[in-house]
Parts: sequence; C-alpha cells; structure tokens
Amino acid sequence: MTRIPDKHAQHASQQSLQQAAWAAAAAVPDPEIPVVTIADLGILRSIALDEEGCIVAQVTPTYSGCPATNLIQQMVLEALHEAGFENVRVESVLSPAWTTDWISSEGRKKLRQFGIAPPTETSNSKRALFGETLVTCPHCGSGETERVSEFGSTPCKALYRCLACREPFDYFKCH
Amino acid sequence: MYSQGLIGADGQTHEDAAFLAAFQARIDAEQKIEPNDPMPEGYRKTLVRQISQHAHSEIIGMQPEGNWISRAPSLRRKAALLAKVQDEGGHGLYLYSAAETLGVSREEMTEQLLSGAAKYSSIFNYPALTWADIGAIGWLVDGAAIMNQIVLCRCSYGPYARAMIRICKEESFHQRQGYEIMIALCNGSKEQKELAQDALNRFWWPSLMMFGPPEGDSVHSNQSMIWKIKRFSNDDLRDKFINASVPQAEKLGLTIPDSDLKWNEAKQGYDHGEIDWDEFWRVVKGDGICNRERLKNRRRVDRDGAWVREAAMAHAQKRRARMASARIAAE
Amino acid sequence: MSGTCETIMASNQTLFSYVLRLADDHLILSQRLGEWCGEAPTLEEDLALANIALDLIGQARALYAYAGQVEGKGRNEDQLAFMRYERDYQNLLITEQPNGDFAHTIVRQFFISAYMDPFWRRMESSKDEMLAAIAAKASKEVTYHLRHTSEWVIRLGDGTRESHERMVEALDDLMMFTGELFEMDAVAQEMLQSGVGVDASDLKAEWQHTVQTILQEATLELPKAGHMQTGGRTGRHSEHLGHILSELQYMQRSFPGLTW
Ligand SMILES: [Fe+2]
Ligand SMILES: [Fe+2]
Ligand SMILES: [Fe+2]
Repeated sequence: MTRIPDKHAQHASQQSLQQAAWAAAAAVPDPEIPVVTIADLGILRSIALDEEGCIVAQVTPTYSGCPATNLIQQMVLEALHEAGFENVRVESVLSPAWTTDWISSEGRKKLRQFGIAPPTETSNSKRALFGETLVTCPHCGSGETERVSEFGSTPCKALYRCLACREPFDYFKCH
Repeated sequence: MYSQGLIGADGQTHEDAAFLAAFQARIDAEQKIEPNDPMPEGYRKTLVRQISQHAHSEIIGMQPEGNWISRAPSLRRKAALLAKVQDEGGHGLYLYSAAETLGVSREEMTEQLLSGAAKYSSIFNYPALTWADIGAIGWLVDGAAIMNQIVLCRCSYGPYARAMIRICKEESFHQRQGYEIMIALCNGSKEQKELAQDALNRFWWPSLMMFGPPEGDSVHSNQSMIWKIKRFSNDDLRDKFINASVPQAEKLGLTIPDSDLKWNEAKQGYDHGEIDWDEFWRVVKGDGICNRERLKNRRRVDRDGAWVREAAMAHAQKRRARMASARIAAE
Repeated sequence: MSGTCETIMASNQTLFSYVLRLADDHLILSQRLGEWCGEAPTLEEDLALANIALDLIGQARALYAYAGQVEGKGRNEDQLAFMRYERDYQNLLITEQPNGDFAHTIVRQFFISAYMDPFWRRMESSKDEMLAAIAAKASKEVTYHLRHTSEWVIRLGDGTRESHERMVEALDDLMMFTGELFEMDAVAQEMLQSGVGVDASDLKAEWQHTVQTILQEATLELPKAGHMQTGGRTGRHSEHLGHILSELQYMQRSFPGLTW
C-alpha cells in the first residue's frame, strides 16, 4: 500500500526538480540578441533526468556554423550550477533540425519590441528563385518595406528598409 | 572612435534663429529626431559624416581580421572569426542604410571612401601580425567600440541610436570571444602567453587613440555635444575604457605597457602616461603601415567586382522588360 | 566470435573513411570560400559567401567530431582537420580548385550544391542515426546554397556579354571535376549496402536535370563531358591542396599540441 504514494511522491519531486531546472536554463539569454531567451527561440529542447539523477539539458543549434553554440552550452551549464544543480550535462541535438517556427509568440513579441521583425509564421518556399518576403516595419508598422540584403550582421537575419519611416531594420528570416 | 569622424566636421548651419531654437528645444527635451523631421543642415551633415565614417570603419575593419580566417588555429575559432567578420560587414551595411535616411546614397559614401576623402578609424591601419592579435582586437578594439556605442545609443538621431542599441549587443559578443581567446593564450604555454603580451603591447596605445585627441574647447565638438550627437568628451570615454580594461589585463596576468599607469584614489580611476599624438596624426593622415594597402584593397575589390554588378543590373533590366512584355501579351 | 568482431572492426574503419571524406569536402570548400572575405563584388555578397562558408564549416565540424568518435582513438575534430598530410585528405578535387573570378566560384559552388542537395536529402534516411541527424541540418542549409548560386548563374549567364563569357569559361574549366561526384568506390559501396551511405551514382540524373534547367534559364550550356579527373578519394590531388593546407595547418604545425 505504501509503495504507490511513495512512487507518486518520487515522481512529483522529480517533476518539480525538472521544472526548476527548466526555469533556470530557459532564462539564459541569446548571446547575440539578449532580449530573447534560448527558450523563446526554441533552442532549449528539453530538460530530463537520467538514471543516475543527472540533469540533462538538450540544446539545438540554429544553424550548423552558429558561433554562439558553444557559449550557449556553457551558459546553460553555469545557469544550472547557479540554481544549485551540481550533476549536470548539456547535450547538443541536431535532429529534428531547428526552424523559426519554434520561436514562441512571446519571443516574437520581444524581437519586434527590440526592433527586429520576427519571422512570418510559416516558412516560404525556398525553391522560389529571387523570392522576396513581405515584412512589416517593426518601428512604424508599415508594410511598405524593401529588402536591402539577404544577410544582415548575423546569418539568421536579413536587412530591410522601411519606405514609410525610412528605418533600416533586421528581419529574422524564416528558416 | 567614431568621434574621429567628427574631426574637421563642418557643423556650420544657415537656418534662421527661430528654426534653430525650436530644433534645440526638441533636442533638450530628449526627443528623437527622425528622418522625415526638419533639421538644420549642419546637424544633417555632421551626422552623415559620423555615421558614414563609422560604416567605413566596419568595412575596413574586416581586413585585419579577415587576414586570419584561413590560418585560425582550431575549427571553433575559425567559425567564430568568420562569423565575426560577417557581423562587421553587416554592421557596415546597417550603418550605410542609417546614413541613407539622411539623404546620402551608399554609392556616394563608397566613392568618398575609395577616393580617400572619407576617413575610417585609425586603429585598422595597424596590422594583425599574430593569432593573439585576433584576441587583442576583440578584447580591446571591440571593447573601445562598445564604450563609444553605449553612449551613441542615446544619440539624438533616432535611426542611429536604435542601430547602436542592436549593434552594441553583437559587439559585446565579439568582445567576449576576443577576451576568451586571450584567456586561452594566458592559460597556455609560455610562448602562448608571450604572444598575448606582445599583442597587448602593440594594441594598447592605438586602442586609446581610438577615442580621439583631447578636445579642450573645440567648437565643433561643442556643437555636436549641444545637438547631443556626442554625449561625452573623448577623454571621459578613454578613462572609462582604461578603468574597465586594467582589471581585465590583471586577471589575464598581463602587463599594460604604460609605466605611468597608476590608480588615482581621488578620482577613483587610473592616471595614464602620455599618448603619442604625433603617431595618431601621422596614421590619420595616411602614413600608417597599412593605410595605403587597406584603401588599395578596397579599390581593387571595387574594380574586380564591377563586371558582376553590371551583369546583375543588366539581368534585372532584362527581367523587368520580359515581365512587362509578358503582362502586355496577357492583356 | 573473432570473425564477427573483425567484421565490425572493418565496417567501423569504412564508416570512419566515409565520414572523414565528407568532412574533408566541407572543410576544404569552406576554406576556399573564406578566402573571399572582404573581396566579394558587393557587400551583400560578402555576407552571403561568409554565411555559406560558415554552414560548411559547421557541417565539417559535426562530421569530424563524429569521425573521431567512430575511429575511437581519441582524435578530436581539430586533430583530424589539421594534423594529417596531403595524401591523407580525401576531399573531392572540385572543392580544392582555386576561387578564380566570381564566375568560377559560383559555378564551383553551384555544381557542388546541386549534388549535395539530393545527397543530404537521401542521407536523412540513413540507418546511421548520427549521419541522418547531420543530414537533416545540412539539407536545409544546402537548399539555400543551391538557390543562391542558381540565382547568380542566371544573373551572370543572362547579364552582359562579359559575364556570359566568363561563365562559359568557368563551366569549361570545372566540368572535368564533376565526374568524381558520382563515383562509387569500395568504401561507398559498402556503406550503401549497409544502409548507411548514399548511392552517389544514382544522383547523376537529378544533378544533370537541376544544372541544365538553371543553365537554360541562364542562356548557358553544360559543356560536353570529356575526360573526367579523379583521385581525391585516394589522396591524389591537384597542386592546389598543398597550399591550402600550408595556411590551414600553419598554427597547429608551428605550435603542436597546444590549446587555443
Ligand atoms: Fe517604418
Ligand atoms: Fe562592428
Ligand atoms: Fe565587432
């Protein structure tokens, strides 16, 4: 009789442990766009407990050559240590491959407030040659914008210009 | 660094007193000036000069670091350096676009750079000789850039201020990576640590010069201050930079190459030795070891790429014509 | 018992070779693209080429790390990437060809992307989980590389007389390195049979279709296939590789065994 509640209790404590770990790791800011967290971006995939009681955080790179990947892993490790988790491991998972669809609506809001146009909700066809996406100006809200460059300072962004208020701005590309 | 862009700036302006007073009132009320707002010609010119020279600095700055991409010592460092240089190019592009909001075209600005009429930050006329220089540049040069840019985030011109807020975050990432290269060297072998010290020795003084000479009562600089394009004096920013960098050097176990560097308890900051302003002016005026090479490279790249740009334009024109005739045929 | 063990050893060795050569392809090509830094015809293109180079180096890192794991001798990505001799690199010859003018770089990248696009897509269903995962990431990235280079092939082919002529020359110069893409040597055969690898010879039709469709729009033609060069997979390279390595390996050779 006593075994069942025990198991429940153990399960519950495991869950709260995982939740606490998630909260700590989720708050890690993206090194290049610190207004959004790695949870907002969908880079933090999961937090689990393995058989030895080790917290395993799974992160995924946005693209293969992302220079922030190492730093993000290190920051997650530090955040978990700081939250009191000692036995911690960070794993990189490649599959399924990250897409901008994983950016949360909260993340999109923060990007827009920071002046970066968030990706449009569904990926456009990449096979379309010379294809351009319609992007709304994060500064004045006008739809009258044009693309200056397919790449901005970081590979995940394109540079646009607003024809109404003339603001240059980054667009977080669909991917 | 970008206040170097104000050297020789013509802040003169010809509007009537009422217009200038109304404009100044907006500035004093900390209202941002936007592209479609009326503004004094002197304000516009000063900004074009500063923003374009900032953009040129990003572009020329790709050369010393690009020089090490093929030789980076590990795959991780190679990827990070490649990404960093791409960032700098992106900053240049962003800033050219910000300057374009003031009615100047990228072509005009490029022309001014290639002809030597426009300047870029003096620091990029120093060569990146060893791998440790890539660390020192990230740590010190990006660090000095951040000192300038944090203040520029509050610049009175809206598009420039907002550009700075975003660019600043990326520069912080660069600085962090540069410092991390220095940490790896200083935790490494004796020869690695010597490389690090040597890089610091060569980049320390030029980094201090990035903030520009002491201004005294310079009129131009005052006008930029009144318009809140500039918000701190060159010396103030330089002091902030020194105060931030000295403890970082100590943490690395490196020695700042300035025997006069001393903590001043009264001002809660460091006093530093004499900066060689003759060297600064020599490099600004074109006699640094790399000045000619940096510009010649840009001119060569511009020449070599001309046929590609012409082809792209010709194709775009043909495409438009074909689409137009297809539409007519459809109607 | 010992027989089974040997089979496993042998196939591990084959898997190691297979992953390593793919890694070499991506490293050498990204090294070439990195040479464009600050040299591209427009600032926008400078960013685009750097981005493609970054994708490739990212893919190379994942592949080298995995190769090291498969080999099981404790070699990490850098030891594999930097500390081998010329004849040990197994990259395809086309990846080491010089950048030349922008037309040559675009044609080289276009030929390779048109090949890697279906290659990675098929690799996504490899029985090897790690290769499948790397492929899932890479296939998204190479789709973009193919689109970007296709756009340039069309622009340059259709653009001006000069750009058209330069493209014709680039196609002529690089055509002889395309045969090697579709070769199936013993390593590739064994990997195909075990459900790990991709049948490269089977990609030829799709490659030709992709290339010809774009070339047609660009008013260009694929040159007649003459004698095809080969040798990269057995370490018989063109003279260019040695020079690439002398830069690539400079730091690791000057300061052996240090951490950077
Ligand atoms: Fe706008
Ligand atoms: Fe920058
Ligand atoms: Fe930077």
